[in-house]
Amino acid sequence: MNDIYKRNNAKNFIYISLFFFVIYLCFLYLGIDFQRFFSALGRFGNLIATRYYPVDIPYALEPGYLASILDSVQMGYLGLIIGVIIASILAYFAASNITPSKRVGYVIGKFFIIFSRSIHETIWTILFVTIVGFGMLAGTMALTMYCIGFFGKLFSEELENVDMKLVETIRSNGANEMQVFAYGVWPQVKTAFTGILIYTWDVCFRASTIIGFFGAGGMGWYLKRNVLQLEYARTSAIIVSIIVLVIFSEALSAYMRDKIYKETQ
Amino acid sequence: MSGYQLSIEDYSKQNSSKIYKKIIFYTSLISIIFLSVYFIIILDTDWHRIGSGQAILEQLSYFIGLDVSIMPLLILPAFETFLMACLGTMLGLLLSLPVAWLGAKNVTPLGMFTFSIARFLMTISRSVHEIIWALIFVGAVGLGALPGILALAFRSVGFISKIIAESIEGADKKPIEAIKAAGGSGFDVMYYGIIPQILPTVIGTIIFEWDINIRRSAVMGLVGAGGLGLAFFRQMHMSNYPGVTTVILFIVGLIVIGEILSHYLRKRII
Repeated sequence: MNDIYKRNNAKNFIYISLFFFVIYLCFLYLGIDFQRFFSALGRFGNLIATRYYPVDIPYALEPGYLASILDSVQMGYLGLIIGVIIASILAYFAASNITPSKRVGYVIGKFFIIFSRSIHETIWTILFVTIVGFGMLAGTMALTMYCIGFFGKLFSEELENVDMKLVETIRSNGANEMQVFAYGVWPQVKTAFTGILIYTWDVCFRASTIIGFFGAGGMGWYLKRNVLQLEYARTSAIIVSIIVLVIFSEALSAYMRDKIYKETQ
Repeated sequence: MSGYQLSIEDYSKQNSSKIYKKIIFYTSLISIIFLSVYFIIILDTDWHRIGSGQAILEQLSYFIGLDVSIMPLLILPAFETFLMACLGTMLGLLLSLPVAWLGAKNVTPLGMFTFSIARFLMTISRSVHEIIWALIFVGAVGLGALPGILALAFRSVGFISKIIAESIEGADKKPIEAIKAAGGSGFDVMYYGIIPQILPTVIGTIIFEWDINIRRSAVMGLVGAGGLGLAFFRQMHMSNYPGVTTVILFIVGLIVIGEILSHYLRKRII
């Protein structure tokens, strides 16, 4: 701990100046105007104050927009359910300690989880929109892929942390793979499964508010329309409504997770 | 005796009401599934337009194959994306330091007032999606890598400052008290008492956030900030589907490199 503040001023000076020089080079490479960079916060504040500020709240309360919120919620929910079903199977294969086949199943499960995780949800949306056309189906599929990545990673990590002694006991008594999972693994991860499920719902809803921007239905579509029409007051109303909904969903998911953990303890 | 009997009845009554509650809960969850299936797959989807399964397969087959000719053109945008993520995370850290200072209960200067302001800023930063941040900043500072960096920074502030504030709150009080007792100023307390304690957590968090930021910076180009997202956008609009596959391959490669690097770094530091 103590050697963090070792007094070596000359060396520190060289390191710090090298650090700033590298950042300077990065800025030059990216073609960023320094004046623009330092005035960015002011411009941002100015933009918020002059364009976005009088928030057009009544717009966010129109029935058409409220229906689109419902669309987003439905997309998130359905994407979550399908995604979690697929991700649970993949996570079972991708957990190194309980996977039925280490050579094939593990690699395939891990690959699919990493692959769907590494592509951002907006890119999934664009891809599915080109395949099945505009609309909520594409959004649901994109959210499914997103949930597979998100849920699969967290749940497979949870599966890797189970107590193997219990699992081995059941296996040594002659249980088959199905029984090992049902009596050895599942009781240990049940709580975590529900907790991760609720957390994934929260994150998935957050993603579902934006994917409409790229052609899947829901609130994002309204956002895109108003951004393109330069209707700043309406755009800010939509952003405010998204913030409110996200805060609400976050609070709800925190409350539910808390309740579940309390119930099991 | 009767008391005992009663308690069992009570128990079973309680249990049955619990079961009823459970049944209602699960039926409502399942009925929402059917409702969403009905709305999304039956009402909203134009199956006529999508066509048969063969048409979908045909559409999918466009994506098969790689466009080798654009590969050399993607190396610089990939590097740009990577730099954008690095600078965005750094700027995010810089911005989140004051927010974390205000948002930690034990060091916030004006009590509840500054604390709630900081918490509000954290929530705003986390709940606005990076695409929306990028849209706002493209409007504010123009096209290029700068709005991407700013959007990533603003998006990361919420997470980084929340973790820092929580670790400041959880820091061991003894060294802090010792420094105060020896006559140290507020700055001394921060510099010698708190920072050495929270440094490992903070570095771990930054590496984690950097890893996520690479993923995010790959889509910044979709709304006008450069990088691989812009290349993706162009290929998509030229309907050059093998090119799209190539760009996606580059994005996945970049993210895998970032994941390996962050894994290695985290192991070294923590």
